[in-house]
Amino acid sequence: MKKFLNDPANLVSELLEGFALAHADRIKVTEKNLVVRANPKAKDKVALVTLGGSGHEPALSGFVGEGMLDISVPGDIFAAPGPPRVIEALRMANRDAGVLFVVLNHAGDVMSADIAMEMATKEGLNVKTILTHEDISAGTRDNPEDRRGLAGCLPLIKVAGAAAEQGRTLDECLAIAGRMERNMATLAVAVTGATHPATGEFIAEVPDDVMVVGMGQHGEAGGGTQKMKSADETAAVMLEALLDDLKIEEGDKVLVMINGTGATTLMEQYIILRAVKRLLDAKNITLARSVAGEFLTVQEMGGFQMFLARMDDELIELWDAPCSTPALSKP
Amino acid sequence: MPELVGRDELVAMLRGAVREIKENHEILSALDSHGGDGDHGTSMVRAMEQIEKVLEKASPEEIKGLLNDIGWAVMGIDGGATGPLLGSLFMGMADGVEGKSSLDASALAAMFAAGLARVQKRTRAQVGDKTVIDALVPAVDALKEAVEERGGIAEALERATDAAQKGALSTKALQARFGRARNLGERSTGEQDPGATSMALIFRGFWKGNVEQ
Repeated sequence: MKKFLNDPANLVSELLEGFALAHADRIKVTEKNLVVRANPKAKDKVALVTLGGSGHEPALSGFVGEGMLDISVPGDIFAAPGPPRVIEALRMANRDAGVLFVVLNHAGDVMSADIAMEMATKEGLNVKTILTHEDISAGTRDNPEDRRGLAGCLPLIKVAGAAAEQGRTLDECLAIAGRMERNMATLAVAVTGATHPATGEFIAEVPDDVMVVGMGQHGEAGGGTQKMKSADETAAVMLEALLDDLKIEEGDKVLVMINGTGATTLMEQYIILRAVKRLLDAKNITLARSVAGEFLTVQEMGGFQMFLARMDDELIELWDAPCSTPALSKP
Repeated sequence: MPELVGRDELVAMLRGAVREIKENHEILSALDSHGGDGDHGTSMVRAMEQIEKVLEKASPEEIKGLLNDIGWAVMGIDGGATGPLLGSLFMGMADGVEGKSSLDASALAAMFAAGLARVQKRTRAQVGDKTVIDALVPAVDALKEAVEERGGIAEALERATDAAQKGALSTKALQARFGRARNLGERSTGEQDPGATSMALIFRGFWKGNVEQ
């Protein structure tokens, strides 16, 4: 492993220290390593909180800021934070307007979230949970519990955060998040492996001439190994699977996000996005909005996650609303 | 060999578990690199350090309070599912010793059964799913059986240790159905589950800590 690191035991606190410096205008890091907004949202608006392992920068703390999250609880590398810091964040966010708690479907995250939620309920905190599980490689749509939460948390947080910023109620924000969740799907592909920054071990190894479709965000395999394909061919294989999963039809409007996982160039991501647009045009599906970049990475893993969501006018309006976070900004 | 487990004996058992994990953490990480991200040993060591911290500070005199504090401290390790699962075991054990200052063999078995119940609230995994449950369930069952056969505490813990070890070994042939290793499908067979292995080590530590008193 060739990474610029110090003592692995201090990895997360060191990365958060730098993260806070780099984005001092938008976020700050509390004593307990919770990432909060530099300028807190008005108390009469719904707050958004999430939790998740580190090592996926800019996710998830990079989604904290105006128009998106209020607090993120970063865990250790690829590992969820424990319930004590999660309940602390929920207490900090608690308000009459309520808290929307976004949880990605991974065993550790869900356990910590469940324990914290039991405590929150006992304490009378006003919190409602939305679980994201949009990875189509890990289970069918009727088995949502098997589906992992991938980069789709970003668009979901974006639309729910915009709704909160507009002063919508907790139930309305939850309904919007739920609608996004039901209409979104992600599929990942990996072409080169990655190492765990603390242990130096390979978390995924991909042979030279192949790509692995369905690779999870910790390098865990989840799908088919196939011969390396061109950008257009790869885009077609992945898009087809996503369209099929969501039963997208002619005339539908979609949002597409190409999320680079670490070592795939932005150049390639743009080429993939262009291929997606052409394929959608040919099917008379409207690419209403699209975005490419590194939002949720897996260290130096080569590959990307393709995210697709069926959008209605309200979701598009919320996606377009202003936001200012380390990972995503809209005027 | 104590015939009752009071606070001091419980502390000895906990220290036994801490030692056992610290001596074997590299094996746990190596097993975890098969289906997970190779840090289970590190997470377990952090959990054990939390236990030591609770034992070293002026921790509660009541065994229930002590177990509760340990459970909460273990949950705070930020190590994925390991913290909540292991923390739930200790917090469940705390539920199981309500109002007691010392435990006979049957109360000890009841304490572990309460610990298991709390863990099972956190995961739907069953025996055979290649998780910590594969070691924990047989250990708790063995304790109960030993007590029914009127065995003493040391014997009950020894039988629990053997059962946990056997359970951990059985995971070698199993396919993971929970956690990150699940995504490996058939390729998850061939190595022991790290979570089941660490639970077996914990029981061995409890037993050793008890008999070495």
